Amino acid sequence: MSKSTEERIDNALWQLLERTVPIYPEDDDETADQRLDDAFAFARNAIASAADTAVGPDVHHAADLIKRRLIRDNLSPEKALKFSNLYSRLLSQPVLSQKWAMLYFLHSLTDAPTAENRQSMANHRRSHSPTVGASEERKGRQYVVDSSAFNEAFSNAGLLRLPATEEPRQERPASRQRRERTRDAEPEAEPPPPSPSYPNYDALTPPEPALLRDLPFTLQGLSSTNLVFSSSKILKLPPTLPVPVIGLLHTLAEPCLLYRGLSEFVESSSGGLVGQSFRSALSIELRAYLGLVATLEGQIRRALAQLDDGPRQGIGKAGVTLKRCVVWTREATMGLRLMSLMVEQSKDKKGGQLISVIHSFALTHGDPFVVNFAERLLSHVTRPFYDMLRQWIYDGELSDPHLEFFVSEQQEKLDDTGKGGATSVWEDKYKLNAAMVPSIITDSFANKVFLIGKSLNFIRHGCNDASWVESYSKSASRELHYGDTATLETSIDEAYKTTMARLITLMENKFHLFEHLSALKKYLLLGAGDFIAVLMESLSANLDRPANTQYRHTLTAQLEHAVRNSNAQHDSPDVLRRLDSRMLELSHGEIGWDVFTLEYKISPPVDVIVTPFGSKQYLKVFNFLWRVKRVEFALGTTWRRCMTGARGVLGAVTDRVGGDWKSARCVVAEMVHFVNQLQYYILFEVIESSWGELQEAMRRPDSTLDDLIAAHAAYLTAITRKGLLGASAVDFPGQLHELLKTMLAYKDAFTRRQERSAKIENRTAAGKWGLSERDDDIPTPIAAPHGLGLASVSEDDILGGLRGRLAHLAADFKARVNVLLGDLYAQPDTDMRWLAMVMNFNDVYSPVRRKRHKPLMSNG
Amino acid sequence: MAPSQPQDADKRQAAREVIDILHEIATLLVALPLPHNTQLNRQQLSYCVSLIENGVNPEALANVIKELRAQYPEPDAEEEGEEET
Repeated sequence: MSKSTEERIDNALWQLLERTVPIYPEDDDETADQRLDDAFAFARNAIASAADTAVGPDVHHAADLIKRRLIRDNLSPEKALKFSNLYSRLLSQPVLSQKWAMLYFLHSLTDAPTAENRQSMANHRRSHSPTVGASEERKGRQYVVDSSAFNEAFSNAGLLRLPATEEPRQERPASRQRRERTRDAEPEAEPPPPSPSYPNYDALTPPEPALLRDLPFTLQGLSSTNLVFSSSKILKLPPTLPVPVIGLLHTLAEPCLLYRGLSEFVESSSGGLVGQSFRSALSIELRAYLGLVATLEGQIRRALAQLDDGPRQGIGKAGVTLKRCVVWTREATMGLRLMSLMVEQSKDKKGGQLISVIHSFALTHGDPFVVNFAERLLSHVTRPFYDMLRQWIYDGELSDPHLEFFVSEQQEKLDDTGKGGATSVWEDKYKLNAAMVPSIITDSFANKVFLIGKSLNFIRHGCNDASWVESYSKSASRELHYGDTATLETSIDEAYKTTMARLITLMENKFHLFEHLSALKKYLLLGAGDFIAVLMESLSANLDRPANTQYRHTLTAQLEHAVRNSNAQHDSPDVLRRLDSRMLELSHGEIGWDVFTLEYKISPPVDVIVTPFGSKQYLKVFNFLWRVKRVEFALGTTWRRCMTGARGVLGAVTDRVGGDWKSARCVVAEMVHFVNQLQYYILFEVIESSWGELQEAMRRPDSTLDDLIAAHAAYLTAITRKGLLGASAVDFPGQLHELLKTMLAYKDAFTRRQERSAKIENRTAAGKWGLSERDDDIPTPIAAPHGLGLASVSEDDILGGLRGRLAHLAADFKARVNVLLGDLYAQPDTDMRWLAMVMNFNDVYSPVRRKRHKPLMSNG
Repeated sequence: MAPSQPQDADKRQAAREVIDILHEIATLLVALPLPHNTQLNRQQLSYCVSLIENGVNPEALANVIKELRAQYPEPDAEEEGEEET
């Protein structure tokens, strides 16, 4: 069709020129024809040689140009508006196909003065074309160096068309072929103007095939001819390569260096079992990487064998280039990067922490590649951990040579502050190290695991029930895996229940835990009243003597006597065996009452529950209760004598000392009431209720050994606290102590007085009995009054002294009780307040709240 | 009158419209007090359209016309603009 187009063009051109070139009237036809021919020829040439327009065929852009010119050249925007109208109408016309060309034509037609525009546009064209080969266009143009980038960026003249073809537009189909040939021919045409910016593969030193040959070695971390590893972290690239190739080699160098570092790490051996399994997992992954490298090498070798002598040795055709290697190793590089990251993060960690690090990758990372990778590693890495776990759960043994498990064995304390015995086995032998718990295990899970193992260990060693442990482990033990969380949890729960139940049954049956506890209550907490009464009676005479005259065997004999004569004889012999009487450490001036104590021996493993500290607390309570009992006993005897004496001896002296006796009796009654209330309170309100709670706690079905220990400790604390023995802000023990002392003093004085009056009477009656020296032998610390030497003072004085003393003691007693009541009322515990209320039920005392750091104020 | 490229009557009508539009645009553009009057008449314009439709480079064509005009100026300014409508 081009021929007819050419014809048509010629025709149209001829026609146009006829109308354009004016006819000068003065010329003749020939000249006119000549002119016309010249014009035609010129036009034809111009058209033929015209290169493609520099500006892209954008209709809107041309319209914009025109509009801009219109706006620029005219004051009023009318013409521009009109043009817009026309333009829109033109656009709607389907006829014209080269709308842009027409508009541009009109625009250039009227664009004559802007010659420099043309010039600059030509410059744009020129500078935009890269230095690709030689083109004819370059000839005959002047170089005007312009800031090409700037002009391109702000190309008001229109976006420059990329000069893909340098040929005129008519030869478009032909030009395409020529374009390709041009490109292929480029490397050949290279040696004439060699441009350093364009990758010139032919001139590579070392040449690309050599690099490709070295590549598999480099990827494995080995030095090769061209690519040398100057150290384990540095790869030296040959400096003679052009920059883009260096860029490619940089990308390829990354997996090489990563692999080198990783293989070094994998070879090293440190860290525990988990670390070793980590290394082995990594080495498996690295092996896969090496497989990839092997494939790559095969490809390269095949490609290199196909090299011909074409440009770049035809390497493009063979299919393996550096670029392609980059693409092939991309995924492997990601994997290697991830591994080296993991290695970095796990530098100082071991055991559970290492697992946590890897698990964090699997858990929280967004990239599924990373997650899968980490999961793969995890199942491998956690295997030694699960082995340790299994052994701990089912055998109770800890096999942890590198201290990686979260349960660690503690060293025995060498000093004596350790609790010793089975307690320390339970409490201190193992401890849970929360920092080493890996994140694949929750905290409660870890606690359970810890308990299970501890219990098993305890059963095996503390309770000597190793056989059960063996049979249990044989039956229940099973393999544990990562990723099998459901089975893991169920098996842990089962193990937990079984172990705990076994432990509790052992405690109950084999070691008679409950029996011991109730025996403790009976004897040490004075629960067995009859036994205590008998004991006290038989011991009272003994214990009044000084402490250094007491003998152990007498005490034991008395104890036996008491046991035989009370219900205690019906207890099991084991219990009775443990009961013993003992003397505490003596100091000067003490009497037997102060150093006597009962003792109950606890043997392991029960002493896990009744700890040595607990035993001490028991003794403390016993001491207190024993003192109270003693006072009660003393007051009781006094009262008895008083009552019986009223009918006998004392009746005779009623006239002289009757009033005194009456008041004395009242005081004694008061004291008796106080002591009774106190005893009742302690025995029933405190001890019994706490005991009930303890029973409850123990009978609960799913209680563990730790629960039992806690319950027992709470029991003892409640007793000591509520029994007014605890160390609180208010000094109950001190007050009680004083009170008791006062009462004893009173009793002594009373006794003394009673004896005195009895003697008076007797002497009066019989005249024979004298004061025996025996009476003076009792060196009561309280009633050691200075001036009450009996031998030298007259009776009246003695009586007066006694009377005064009794009154003083009574007042003292009252005061102290007031203070005690005041303090009791202020206690938050309801039981203590109840005690205060009961003591003061008829408001005979007026309780006083003692202010701190101020002197006592008592309203008698 | 105006040489028509299309073959149908409708197309002829459309072509005429297009020529009209283009002529108006050309008129609009011609407000510059240039030494040579760049006013194209309709015939010239239609020939130009046909040339460009056939693939002539518009820039080259414009250059040609400008050259010719510069080379052979009009004998009279008044004589120009023969509208042979």
